Amino acid sequence: MTAFELVEPSSLGEALGLLDPDDPAVRPIAGGTALILMIKTGLYQPRRLVSLRALGPALTKISAAADGGLIIGAMVRLTQTERSVLVREVAPVVADALLTHSNIRVRNVATVGGNLAHGDPHMDLPPLLIALGASVRAAGPGGERDIPVEELITGYMATVLGNDELIVALHIPPQTGRRTAYAKITARTADDWPALGIAASIGAAEVRIAIGAATEIPMRLKQTEALLAGRRIDDALLREAGRCAAAEAPVIGDQHGSAAYKRVLVEVHLRRALQKALAL
Amino acid sequence: MSDSRPISSGQIGRSLPRVEARAKVTGRAEYIHNLRLPGMLWAKIARSTVPHGRIRHIDTSTAQATPGVHAVITGEDILRVIPDPYFGPAFHDQPILALGKIRFAGEPVAVVLAEDPRIAEAAAQEVSIDYEELPAVLDEVEALTATTFVHDALKPAGMFADLKHLAGKRDTNVALDYHLRRGDVDRAFAEADHVFEHVFRTPQQMHTPLEPHCAIAEATPAGVTVHSSTQTPSSVRVEIARLLGLPENRVRVRTAFLGGGFGAKVYVKIEALAVALSLLARRPVKIALTMEEQFFTISKHGSTFRIKSAVTKDGRITARRCEVIYNGGAYADIGPRVAQKSGFSAAGPYDIANVSIDSCETYTNRPTAGALRGFGIPQLVWAYESHTDLIARELGLDPVEFRRRNLLKDGLPQATGTMLEDTATVAVLDRLVQRIGWGQPFDRGTGTLRRGRGVAIGLKASISPTTSVATIAVAADGSATLYCGTVDMGQGSTTALAQIAAEALGIAAEAVRVVTPDTDVTPYDMGTLGSRSTFHMGHAVRRAAEEVNAKLAAMAAETGLPDGSNLPIAELFRRKYGMQAGTIVGSGSFVPDYAPPDQATGLTPNATPYWMMGGSGAEVEIDTETGQVRVLRLINVADAGTPINPRIVETQLTGAAIMQLGFTLSEEMVFADGQLCNPSLADYKIPGIRDMPEVLAGETVAARQKSGPYGAKGVGETGTFGVSPAIANAIHDAVGVRLTELPITAEAVYRALRRAKGDPLPEE
Amino acid sequence: MRGMVSVAPRTIRFTLNGVAAECVVAPHETLVEVLRDRFALGGARESCGQGLCGCCTVLVDSLAVSGCLYLAVFADGAELVTVEGLADGDALHPVQEAFIEAGAFQCGFCTPGFVLMTTRLLADYPDPGDDQIRHYLSGNLCRCGAYPQIIEAVKLAARKLRAG
Repeated sequence: MTAFELVEPSSLGEALGLLDPDDPAVRPIAGGTALILMIKTGLYQPRRLVSLRALGPALTKISAAADGGLIIGAMVRLTQTERSVLVREVAPVVADALLTHSNIRVRNVATVGGNLAHGDPHMDLPPLLIALGASVRAAGPGGERDIPVEELITGYMATVLGNDELIVALHIPPQTGRRTAYAKITARTADDWPALGIAASIGAAEVRIAIGAATEIPMRLKQTEALLAGRRIDDALLREAGRCAAAEAPVIGDQHGSAAYKRVLVEVHLRRALQKALAL
Repeated sequence: MSDSRPISSGQIGRSLPRVEARAKVTGRAEYIHNLRLPGMLWAKIARSTVPHGRIRHIDTSTAQATPGVHAVITGEDILRVIPDPYFGPAFHDQPILALGKIRFAGEPVAVVLAEDPRIAEAAAQEVSIDYEELPAVLDEVEALTATTFVHDALKPAGMFADLKHLAGKRDTNVALDYHLRRGDVDRAFAEADHVFEHVFRTPQQMHTPLEPHCAIAEATPAGVTVHSSTQTPSSVRVEIARLLGLPENRVRVRTAFLGGGFGAKVYVKIEALAVALSLLARRPVKIALTMEEQFFTISKHGSTFRIKSAVTKDGRITARRCEVIYNGGAYADIGPRVAQKSGFSAAGPYDIANVSIDSCETYTNRPTAGALRGFGIPQLVWAYESHTDLIARELGLDPVEFRRRNLLKDGLPQATGTMLEDTATVAVLDRLVQRIGWGQPFDRGTGTLRRGRGVAIGLKASISPTTSVATIAVAADGSATLYCGTVDMGQGSTTALAQIAAEALGIAAEAVRVVTPDTDVTPYDMGTLGSRSTFHMGHAVRRAAEEVNAKLAAMAAETGLPDGSNLPIAELFRRKYGMQAGTIVGSGSFVPDYAPPDQATGLTPNATPYWMMGGSGAEVEIDTETGQVRVLRLINVADAGTPINPRIVETQLTGAAIMQLGFTLSEEMVFADGQLCNPSLADYKIPGIRDMPEVLAGETVAARQKSGPYGAKGVGETGTFGVSPAIANAIHDAVGVRLTELPITAEAVYRALRRAKGDPLPEE
Repeated sequence: MRGMVSVAPRTIRFTLNGVAAECVVAPHETLVEVLRDRFALGGARESCGQGLCGCCTVLVDSLAVSGCLYLAVFADGAELVTVEGLADGDALHPVQEAFIEAGAFQCGFCTPGFVLMTTRLLADYPDPGDDQIRHYLSGNLCRCGAYPQIIEAVKLAARKLRAG
């Protein structure tokens, strides 16, 4: 790495003031596991990094939301999340998914907010959080706004966040009555980025299906959701849903597998994820 | 040598922990990786971005102007200090930095020197190279008939006498072809009951030692010192001395422990560049490759192997034709030896009267391929043991029974004509069959999960001609120091050689200190490669110890002690020198017998000082809906002769098997238009702990290599032989499909399943 | 050239293997570089450079991190432990003893990372099963393939630690 400036503001307001809406060479840094990798490999050269590590306890806490859901501060580490009693209570599927998300050293440093703001399509949290109906709260010079995770990521490592906007918290709504399963499928070795991440969340009246990694951005599979909505899910419907998802998902081929093969993975693993959710 | 052999001190067969164990668990073991010298500059390499082309112009001005940059060096600058800057162990074909021509994408073109490696790295990105692109040849089969030539003419080195005839050969991409002709193959095929023919392929793969290559050169008027993570300090010294026109004694090459080697660090890799840079900069220069750069430095040969067998109704193989084409990449490195040595046993551990082998090393516009744990043998076993299983299935024979009917045994000639001796082919197969539970009922799975079992065995010739020399010094207090050039890259040679020295001296292994290789003090050894150290260096060490014993006996006689006196050595020195003073030095060398193969027939009565024999048995579970392969059990059995250190031998076997498991299931250097797409551990996936089979065993059979030191033979590569075909055979057993290319990814298995159903998955 | 930016090195203070330490670092220096260049500690070593192999493992406030992806300035005020800090004088840490007794390494380059990770594994799970061991150590690569012996060493270390 070559030289850059690092500033360490002690309040959110100060941090926002140090960001620059027009200069992509100024970026916030949270845990930095992904960002430093990009800098080391020459994909990104910052002029200034704004550290979010000292912005106060509000960003590093997991708390119960007023609606019975969860508020996870943006600077909460992934291991802190997976070990949280509250997370285990409200959304155990999140805690489980994090266990194979990345290695423990990365999870010890990477933060929930950083993970989502990074916009990497090969991450486990976005499709899972989409299926859970989660949203992030972003702060910017004009104040705060809530963004559904479903609308957060717009392209390869691209989000709706402005250069001068920060994620401050993740909100997971109460999951009462919902059964959710997530599957991370690796195609090469056991510890790898996923070839496919797929989440199935079954509610009383509707089903939410979201996929990541196999597609350019994480997304819901709405035709498949419509197929399943309000119906008793039997073996025949499971198979039909698998086929529907495989046809619907705009998968792309890469080193993890061809597009044709990823459609097979979608078909099989959506069915299995639904079965797993039903068994909860 | 002396006949006054001391009584065994029980050092052989002792599972002594590695002598350097404490240093390794405390993080204090020395690696060249951690070495820094005062005044040292860091070198970072600018690499080519095209696979084949002529260099029109190199613009170094921006890099040169970067604050903190000491100098930017190109191939033309190297000529000022090394006028003929081409190196290589088999061919002098590789320029220290590209000169005029680019032969693969990623080839070193220029170097930036700076005190801060980060500045050097950033400035190296600013070197701009203008090319005239040439058509590239990438595939080994196409290389044979291509009209694009990677090199204008062949330039064999003098080191190997049997390559000399290739000098000056033009318009070819064939660096070496080895031919073996035994019996009358054509006739046997014409008369055969059955003929089977298959083609198997392996991709280019990489060693990925966790300590990437590194070297520091210090050039002074008195000579050159190179600190390097090399497996072959003596051979590096010889080559650097040749390049500089210096006598060997003006070149010092020293190593430390190596963070893995696996063949990646044999012969000159970055040492010549480090030396040239130090000569130009007049300062010590360090090159420490990144993991990514290792992929552009050396690799394992991709291969295409067409194999054809004639078989009788009752399952005897009467003839075999082997056409092996290795993809050697842009420079020969040790590839020609890989093609020849592996060619000896391309027909497998079988007794076949009529054999034809063509084993060929090609040049292509890819990163160079060289030695990787098995010297070509794993690529060959992959093919011939997959082929063996296919024949057995076609004939309705049990695959193990089919192997037994054709197995080579002691006293029978191997394809080269060299007799098999002290090679436990039968015991290895027997034990494998027993451990995997062959022929016994087992849970074959239900529904979408199906299980199967497979076995595979392989045979390898050792290295010859080759030389090892060792010396042992005994101090006046009786303590012994072993000086030898064998490099400990994790295989445990320091411990095993200490045990051999100790056994011969009649003392405990813990009392022997082994000096880290340093050509200023450790005598010549060809290199730590090809599983040769235990046998070759083991003999040299034993002989050095025997000379010490003889000198001690002479000293005892000289000081008036009766024959067979057991006076402590320290007391003996005091009697001779009147105080604690003096040294006794014994030296020993070992050069195995060898007869080079006949130029026309490839036959030789003495291809190898010993044969290595190993096999694997696998039990796998396949998810038929996705093709996902789980290896449940992987049993690896080897003939290691009499193991010097059984525990270390076991870990060598399981470690080799895990490495080969990666080459089987996940590892592949992926190219697009000649550009390597995945030069990092993020995208080139080596096995982690969760990829390990639930049961992974490595064991040796009771055996003795009579010609070996204390009955031992080499074992570092043996655990790799059978893994890939055992897994492919087990997959066939489980789900009835045959994979003919590595790696066996889930997608490859799934596609094979769909093809078998007559409903192939579209290619997209 | 870029405009004026403050990239000034700064002094950071921390505890290193139980001893107070300080040094001047620039923002772009990583922890593994600083430990090596300023403190001559080579036990944490960069290999893959991507946080995947674990060779550069350092404990920061008892959390294992990849030193190659961790900015040194972030260690300001932290307690750092490297493999060199595990032994108590000549007495090895029980995990180190177990790695020797089980023969759980070959070349040794990855060993400091595995040893440090194992100390944290056993702090979290004093009596780990195979599955817990495999998951916890899945981010450490051993190219020599000493995994079977590493699992054995972890179990042996667990017994040693439980026995006190």
